[in-house]
Amino acid sequence: MSREPMDAAAIASAVAGRECSAVEVVSASLERIDAQEPRLNALITVLEDQALERAAFIDGQVASGNDPGPLAGVPVVVKDNLCTRGIRTTCGSRMLENWKPPYDAAVVEKLEGAGAVIVGKSNMDEFAMGSSSEHSRFGPVSNPRDPSRVPGGSSGGSAASVAAGYVPIALGSDTGGSIRQPAAFCGVHGLKPTYGAVSRWGLIAFASSLDQVGPLSRSVVDAALTMDVISGCDPRDSTSKGGGFPRFIEGALNPYVKGTRIGIVREFREGVLEQPLAKAIEDAALALGESGCAMAEVSLEESVTFGLPCYYIISPAEASSNLARFDGTRYGLRMDAQDFVSQLLLTRGAGFGDEVKRRILTGSFVLSSGYYDAFYATALKVRKKICAEFDRAFTSADVILMPAVSSFPFKKGNFDDDPVGMYKSDLFTLPVNLAGLPGMTVFTGLERSGLPTSVQLVAPRWQDQRLIKCAAVIEKKFGRPPVACGGCI
Amino acid sequence: MALTFETVIGLEVHVQLSTNSKLFCPCPTDYIGREPNTFVCPVCLGLPGSLPSLNARAVQLGVKIALALGCFVSRVSRFDRKHYFYPDLPKAFQVSQLGLPLAEKGAMPIFLGGLKKTVGITRLHLEEDAGKLLHGTPDGRLSGTSFTRVDYNRAGIPLAEVVSEPDMSTPMEAREYVLSLRRIVRYLGASDGDMESGSLRVDVNVSQKCSDGRVGGRVEVKNVNSVRAMERALEYEISRQREVLLSGGQVYRETRHWDDSNGVTRGTRGKEEAQDYRYFPEPDLPPLVIDDSFIRAVEKDLPELPWEKRERFQAEWGLSSEDASTLSERLDLAEFLEGTVAHGASRGSAANWVKTEVLRILNETGLETEALPFTPRSLGALLAKVDEGSLSNTAARGVLEIMGHEGLGLEEAMRKAGIVPGGVKGDLLTEAVRGVLEGHPEETALVLSGSDSSGKKRKYLQGLVMREIRGQAPVGDVSAAIDRELDRMKGFRE
Repeated sequence: MSREPMDAAAIASAVAGRECSAVEVVSASLERIDAQEPRLNALITVLEDQALERAAFIDGQVASGNDPGPLAGVPVVVKDNLCTRGIRTTCGSRMLENWKPPYDAAVVEKLEGAGAVIVGKSNMDEFAMGSSSEHSRFGPVSNPRDPSRVPGGSSGGSAASVAAGYVPIALGSDTGGSIRQPAAFCGVHGLKPTYGAVSRWGLIAFASSLDQVGPLSRSVVDAALTMDVISGCDPRDSTSKGGGFPRFIEGALNPYVKGTRIGIVREFREGVLEQPLAKAIEDAALALGESGCAMAEVSLEESVTFGLPCYYIISPAEASSNLARFDGTRYGLRMDAQDFVSQLLLTRGAGFGDEVKRRILTGSFVLSSGYYDAFYATALKVRKKICAEFDRAFTSADVILMPAVSSFPFKKGNFDDDPVGMYKSDLFTLPVNLAGLPGMTVFTGLERSGLPTSVQLVAPRWQDQRLIKCAAVIEKKFGRPPVACGGCI
Repeated sequence: MALTFETVIGLEVHVQLSTNSKLFCPCPTDYIGREPNTFVCPVCLGLPGSLPSLNARAVQLGVKIALALGCFVSRVSRFDRKHYFYPDLPKAFQVSQLGLPLAEKGAMPIFLGGLKKTVGITRLHLEEDAGKLLHGTPDGRLSGTSFTRVDYNRAGIPLAEVVSEPDMSTPMEAREYVLSLRRIVRYLGASDGDMESGSLRVDVNVSQKCSDGRVGGRVEVKNVNSVRAMERALEYEISRQREVLLSGGQVYRETRHWDDSNGVTRGTRGKEEAQDYRYFPEPDLPPLVIDDSFIRAVEKDLPELPWEKRERFQAEWGLSSEDASTLSERLDLAEFLEGTVAHGASRGSAANWVKTEVLRILNETGLETEALPFTPRSLGALLAKVDEGSLSNTAARGVLEIMGHEGLGLEEAMRKAGIVPGGVKGDLLTEAVRGVLEGHPEETALVLSGSDSSGKKRKYLQGLVMREIRGQAPVGDVSAAIDRELDRMKGFRE
């Protein structure tokens, strides 16, 4: 078995075909984790014993002739806001530092049901609030492409795990760009599915109407493979909807895109991007054009102008509500006090970090009587306009091509005193969440500096397959994301 | 001129719906008397990552009550989050319906001394219940609380909140409203309507309008745990508010708590400030869409409503207002009555028997109507015999007694009671009469001599015959048989 980590599709077929054992694959993954973690800090919890036990079980399945599943023996990392039964699930917060959920998230059930082996829980910005994975109780994550830089966030640990070759696939969650922005910063692919395509059962909510779970990977085929496993209706999540999806793997393997209209966003042409990222858009457009796509120009002016303020009203509002339950009574941190209110104040004061507190305060404010109409109700109206603007854009385009980020990953500590500056790094990703659309960051190459370039593809609701197909075309042109050199031993 | 007052009362009633599982999770609902925190799951405990999924049965029952109250059922309603911090509220918000409730704009008739009054229903919405706090001390004393425990078994139990218009003006009307609403939810099988166990909870809103134009603030009274407590709380609150206004004071809008043992209401805060619940639409639940076919299906399932039955019993059956009210109080009893009529009994005797004998046996045995050993069919057949005169009331009562307490069928019970099929008539009857007259020569002689002017002796003899034949002949037939026998005896003498 080579030292270069395999992708998930290769692992699954090798394990099923008894070319190698799941135990070998998982051991190799654990070795890489062991070697890199001191530098990267991408994982909050490493599940060494459990993973090896699980891998042995998969090998047993193969030996006894049972179908081990489409992800047989594939080591995966899941973000630490996805509940894992009996395994601590911290959300990167002191509040849940030692909380062990009594149940598995739907996506965890599905991954394990498909034969995947969870080797770790990834580090993240506390409660998924942040764009740098610096706001974690468990310390900041480093970018495997350049450890002095942030990996993006909030799924920075998941993106770093995939980029560093710990695992071929990781799950992240994306509320305003938390899969796509770290994918762009770490140089991997990252897909945020249509809102409702993947069950949120067991995903610890940040902003319920925006959150969605999705894969990060080093190949489009792996992203497709994961989507085939994790998507689908779940009666436990009333906002999830019935599949109706084609098999994503078909789209990844046969990316027929001829005639697909690619919408280039006018607003991003004029100097808002670092030059290599602007060039990545042009190159991707060329590659798609070579495969028979037609180019069109679309406008997302309102989304770009009003998306950020709209998002920073709706998401903190929902967050302030979702995080109200942490009162020290039932689970998580409890600061002892004489009465309930003191317990509440002390626990929340000690359990939440500054960024989380900032958003809870913002959210409580915009929902309070007297301010509701001016802020929250207005933001809902703006959200509708953003949806309508995307709908309009999709009358002249089948897939929108735009940047995922406007810059390369920034240095750690860069936005310590400028939270709003940090918020702006989600400018291109968050309108997609507001409209509930599928969006995907696709790797397009490494600069000489070793830092990655990428583009973002956005499709109409439930057209996630178009993203997979276009991404496969782009991947064919630019190659798969390599394992981060800084991560090689 | 002396000031006069007008009382304005509106009620908010929380009805616990009789579903098998909670509003948003599969946990069972029969939590009463269970070990604390055993009927819980990630959803009703509000564990991180859990999500609600709406119980369709709760929606069905909510719609059922709404339709019975003549409400307009919203084709699209919505759930909202109502935020406040309290240890019994697992998510620190209650999922309720604020802006778009399940149903609106209905009405319910209430009856006061036979007079009908209609009370408007403002709205009906669904919401989840909270857990329960248990205060205590390590040594089990109630006072000097040193710890509080929380039991979440009740958290997430489905409630329908029924809000009335402020259409009532006396505690008696409020009482009738609550009793009427309780009757309906029981009729519909939507709730057990039990106030003592908390299945029906009432919050009272009461205010005063003074003849000098002053209007007192609306006071909400909580913690009224029985119909009687509600009436007392209202009486207390009405006189308190009037005294305040009479002394030139102001009645503030506030929430007060009823202290049942001291018979007073107490303000909870010095000055009422509106609590900010930061309502917003529940993002984890899509809008609740109810289509016409759903409503039609529920409608088809609606029984005749209590006041409809009551009016029919009065108008069509000719029952008194009181009997009509008694017999329409419980659906099971009303159905028993109608079944009895359907199986041959006359309306009058069925009504009489159900409200006296059947109710008495139910009370004595503690059984539910379905569990009674006799059915509307057997009671109907028995009463048909009374109606046609082949069985006296007394004899029938005896038979029913045997049926009710010994669990025998009609035929067997009649046999056991010594009843002859087809009744006692002809030679059998003549023989019985003859036996009695011969056994009582003195009385018979008196009657024959014509000196029994008051008819007392004759009645006595007739009673003896009735007893002899166990009431198995109409009084008229018995009387005629006695006449015939007396005539025959006279004939012998002359």
